[in-house]
Amino acid sequence: MADSSGTTLMDLITADPGPASSASGSTANATPSSATASAAASQSPSVPMTTTSSSSLGKTILGEKKSKRATLMQIQNETISAAKAALQPMKTNIMPQKQKKKPVSYSQLARSIHELAATSDQKSSQKQLVHHVFPKLAVYNSVDPSLAPSLLMLNQQCEDRTVLRYVYYYLARILSDNGAQGLSTGGGIPTPNWDALADIDAVGGVTRADVVPRIIEQLSAEASNVDTEFHARRLQALKALTYAPSSNSDILARLYEIVFGILDKVADTPQKRKKGVFGTKGGDKESIIRSNLQYGALSALRRLPLDPGNPVFLHRAVQGVSFADPIAVRHALEIISELAMKDPYAVAMALGKVVVPGGALQDVLHLHDVLARVALARLCHTVSRARALDERPDIKSQFNSLLYQLLLDPSERVCFEAVLCILGKYDSTERTEERAAGWYRLTREMLKLPENDSKSSKDKSQKTRRPQPLIKLVMRRLESSFRSFSRPVLHAAARVVQEMGKSRAAAFSVGLTDIDEGVSINEFADVFDHCFTSFVPLLLMIGARKASSMSGSTGSKETIASLLASLMEVVRTTVACECVYVRAMVIKALIWMQLPYESFDELESIITSELSDPAWPAALLNDILLTLHARFKATPDMAVTLLEIARIFATKVPGKIDADVLQLLWKTCLVGAGPNGKHTALEAVTIVLDLPPPQPGSPSGVTPVDRVSASDPKSALALQKLVQAAVWFLGENANYAASEYAWESATPPGTALMMLDADKMVAAASSRNPTLAGALTRLQRCAFSGSWEVRIVAAQALTTMAIRSGEPYRLQIYEFLNALAQGGVQSQLSEMHLSNGEDQGASGTGLGVLISPMIKVLDEMYRAQDELIKDIRNHDNTNKEWTDDELKKLYETNEKLLDIVSLFCYVPRAKYLPLGPISAKLIDVYRTKHNITASTGLSDPAVIATGISDLVYESKPAPAESDGLDDDLVNAWAANLGDDGLMGKSAPAMSRVNEFLAGMGTDAPDVDEENIVSRPSVGYDDMWAKTLLESSELEEDARSSGSSSPDSIGSVETSISSHFGGMNYPSLFSSKPTSYGTSQTSERSGGNRYGSSSSIYEGASSPIREEPPSYASSVMQRHDSFENPMAAPESSSFESEDESRRNTSGNPQFGSALYDFTAGGDDELSLTSGEEVEIEYEVDGWFYVKKKRPGRDGKLAGLVPVLYVKPR
Amino acid sequence: MLRLRLQWPRLFFLTFLGFHSCRFNGVPAEERLHWRSFLVKLGADNLKHAKNEELFVASHKSVYIVYTVLGDICLYVVGKDEYDELALAEAIFVITGSIKDICKKPPTERTFLDKYGKICLTLDEIVWKGILENTDKERIKRLVRLKPPTEF
Repeated sequence: MADSSGTTLMDLITADPGPASSASGSTANATPSSATASAAASQSPSVPMTTTSSSSLGKTILGEKKSKRATLMQIQNETISAAKAALQPMKTNIMPQKQKKKPVSYSQLARSIHELAATSDQKSSQKQLVHHVFPKLAVYNSVDPSLAPSLLMLNQQCEDRTVLRYVYYYLARILSDNGAQGLSTGGGIPTPNWDALADIDAVGGVTRADVVPRIIEQLSAEASNVDTEFHARRLQALKALTYAPSSNSDILARLYEIVFGILDKVADTPQKRKKGVFGTKGGDKESIIRSNLQYGALSALRRLPLDPGNPVFLHRAVQGVSFADPIAVRHALEIISELAMKDPYAVAMALGKVVVPGGALQDVLHLHDVLARVALARLCHTVSRARALDERPDIKSQFNSLLYQLLLDPSERVCFEAVLCILGKYDSTERTEERAAGWYRLTREMLKLPENDSKSSKDKSQKTRRPQPLIKLVMRRLESSFRSFSRPVLHAAARVVQEMGKSRAAAFSVGLTDIDEGVSINEFADVFDHCFTSFVPLLLMIGARKASSMSGSTGSKETIASLLASLMEVVRTTVACECVYVRAMVIKALIWMQLPYESFDELESIITSELSDPAWPAALLNDILLTLHARFKATPDMAVTLLEIARIFATKVPGKIDADVLQLLWKTCLVGAGPNGKHTALEAVTIVLDLPPPQPGSPSGVTPVDRVSASDPKSALALQKLVQAAVWFLGENANYAASEYAWESATPPGTALMMLDADKMVAAASSRNPTLAGALTRLQRCAFSGSWEVRIVAAQALTTMAIRSGEPYRLQIYEFLNALAQGGVQSQLSEMHLSNGEDQGASGTGLGVLISPMIKVLDEMYRAQDELIKDIRNHDNTNKEWTDDELKKLYETNEKLLDIVSLFCYVPRAKYLPLGPISAKLIDVYRTKHNITASTGLSDPAVIATGISDLVYESKPAPAESDGLDDDLVNAWAANLGDDGLMGKSAPAMSRVNEFLAGMGTDAPDVDEENIVSRPSVGYDDMWAKTLLESSELEEDARSSGSSSPDSIGSVETSISSHFGGMNYPSLFSSKPTSYGTSQTSERSGGNRYGSSSSIYEGASSPIREEPPSYASSVMQRHDSFENPMAAPESSSFESEDESRRNTSGNPQFGSALYDFTAGGDDELSLTSGEEVEIEYEVDGWFYVKKKRPGRDGKLAGLVPVLYVKPR
Repeated sequence: MLRLRLQWPRLFFLTFLGFHSCRFNGVPAEERLHWRSFLVKLGADNLKHAKNEELFVASHKSVYIVYTVLGDICLYVVGKDEYDELALAEAIFVITGSIKDICKKPPTERTFLDKYGKICLTLDEIVWKGILENTDKERIKRLVRLKPPTEF
């Protein structure tokens, strides 16, 4: 099959340019092998060969050698030789025209063009050109510039229209930029980079740079030719000219000159536009030619870059609205609407005359060009919402009424555009207020046709003469669209409903109190919400209400709610559409239209049944998950509902969804759910853990929601990952959800040491904090009976919780871990859950080795606490003051324990007291005595933790990164947010909607590939790294941007590197070294985003802003602390004092370069050995340094590797 | 704007609309392979038993794709911004209509390739630098023959 298709193509290419009869008959002599080869060439990624403009000939040939077919090489070689041969037209002319019947290569095509151009006056050669040479040339990706002279010659001499048309076509292709990159509009068989070929040709090849001026010269001469007979060619010449590279300002200026020159001639003449002229023949010759030229000029103008400041530009565009040619009108409107985005005031003023009833803009309503009306809708929207025009409500209302009239447009495209415009969806930069106002407009306003709209011939206009509520029009329209059979229409209608949902959500969250959907649409309250005075000139409505005792026929009982309900019914039925994309859009629409207090059973069942369909591609499902995310941001109340839905995804299609997308959703919901919702939110997450392990081969068909449908190993694995993620999530966030922190514990310290027995402890614990107790139980179960990965994560999660929680939880976990290590209790607990049949190992759980360091930490803590209490008693008994040495010892123990603890999870050093709350006073005494600020300890060992955990958990670097993550998290939570300070801020969710929506719009097509083509298997580490990126944005600063945008789920590597590469170091670090949590300022919101891009980096930046310890010391230290965790802090505590002193004094640090260093990137700095530098700060093995004089690279400041600089 | 690829079992014909950021040729080169494999997969999943000119729709983020089958040709139109599903559906109508006119009937690979030059010219009139230009068939025909858009 592939062969046959290839053959046909090659037939065409290789058919001899000889007698016309052979065109269809000469299939026989095409060699199949070469055909497939060329097919392979067009399919194989031959980009390296054609894209790199610097590629030399050698490289090109090398690229070919890689391809398996020798024939391909032959073809390519011929192409190259053609390019060479074409440089010597004399030689090629000698060659006989009809040599023999042989497949035609590019070189032969090129040659025959040269030859035929010379004899273009003969009919036969024209024929050949038209029927053979030019069509075959089109199959090639690009045309080489050396053909240009011949083409130009043809252009001058040939009379044949078809030949000329082709000539313009190819000239345009040579002009277009892509030729230089070897990629052009043509597609088809790849061609080499002609310029590169010409460059290496010593004789002096023809490059684009050589021919482009000549082409432009000739074409612009033609474009300025005023001969009336010539004007068709004039248009084509103008068209070809627009393909010229717009980066060249000379050419651009020239083009403007030509276009405006034409417009000067044709635009100003009075327009005697007769009705009925559109699209039909008629009128006198002169005016037709004029309108043709108007068309050509405006089309060309549309392709040129906008020139917003230029009054002529605007003037001509506005004139264009009254042109006779519908396409010219469309282009004029498009230009104007783009200009209006930049300067609505000027545009509105310029349009002053045409917008009035009876003016040209009104005529556009009836113009037979859909895109023109779409452009009109956008224009009206932009102008009527422009703040600049607040002074002129009359103008705004004129445009507004035009926009409303477009709702009646017969084309769905236009009607939907108008709806979207009314809803406030216009571009990506929309704001919530705009959205909310959009919903308000849609539900409250009336469409009133202007009085003098007499020429409307549509029968509908009779009916719609009476003012109509917009919402009814829209609903009717949408319902009829949903009955359509066309998939695009369904998709578009669902999209419109989705946008409606977005606007409605925005309206609710902004708190439009008068959104009472139960109110009859005909009884709008007079109350005009004052907060919208600036948005909506409700002139229309006021006028409308006078006349609106309203059609009693259409049932004045209709309410918005009832209208919506019937619409949603129709939408739901659309789920039956067989196209997945339509269904996805419908589900998104349903999610957006869902309100928090409505029952979501229906939605749930729809989604459940949908997910059973294997046809859903993963990318689409993740898209829907992101929609959930966005929905949540718009309405935080929906957290639980959305989590429920997300759970369906997790259980139904674990193989398809991205674990990090899901986690992101969990996380946002958890943080956003507010103090009361946190428990429920956490519960919803942990339900994933309660799922039974996937049963292989479970019968397909209708499975209940809670059953996992992971029948194949792949999705079982994916489910495993999800469970891991959930466990980890639980460990990290349970304390937050439960608002239980050791350092904020209300429990008096003494109780910790009362050795209750385990049962009582559990009872006490769960009564005090059911959230945490529940999480603990779940984790304990996981620690026993998951797969080994899950068990490991569970043990880690438990340790995290033990460290962070106060008593009695810590003790409870401690006991449990001990038991786990010995495997003793397993028999008791394992009945609770199905065993998955895995060998549990000799120790019962196989976790003994892993857990022992964790237990050791807890041991240390308890032992130290015991000692402390003993000491305190001693002191109390003997009534002795604490000596400085004793205090110092205590402090050191404290620091030491802090360091160890920090290896396992993040705790706020300033607040965390490993020795228990009683130690607080003593440590404080010591600190004040010795002037140690609590916030600056040693650099946070989270930095070092990477190394440790690498060693401890050999196969899994994951926990290290998790440390970095909760670094952010807990800091924010513990230090300044209290528990829910985040949500307490003024509607943070709203700003998030904005960001999401803003992010939503930026979707360049580049982001999709990660998901579509080959989803990179999301490794475990990646997952953390990603959450790292996202979580910090989400939780740390309410103003974070783009965290939910689809882009952010891109590959971690790129995001890290790009963040890292592009980050703005100075702004991040110039902020004062305040203690971490207290500065939730705007400057940080920018910085943090970057700060979170890698855990190591983050760790370095958080507690100490200015000078983290040098690279070497941290390396050393991490070895120490691994081998002997107890001994390490000796040096570190010293160091920390040192650090703190440095910080407080704020002295700059100087150093000298040890070696030469050449900058490898934009933010790096070249060094010459011996150079003196001022070290600003260190980042992840790099110093940011300043020099006194610019160095080799002319830069004063930048990054250098730490090892290259010797600090003094 | 236009790509011709050999693709089992059909020719692969792709047009980009509204990609203003790269005005000349739709999408940058590095994305194109991704686009291609995405679209090919889309087609392989859905177009196997499709009727001629039955419209299919897909979307990715805010990029819309409308595609169809015409004889042996798979026709994809990708657009964004003002070129949403509906506008693309319109564009694809124009393109299929013109191709049918040129090839006289739903084209086989053979006829399509025979007329390829003319099809290129036609498409050049329909899509001009990533912006939809002419939609009127008569007008397109006139322009391809280098006649003025409106005859007198």
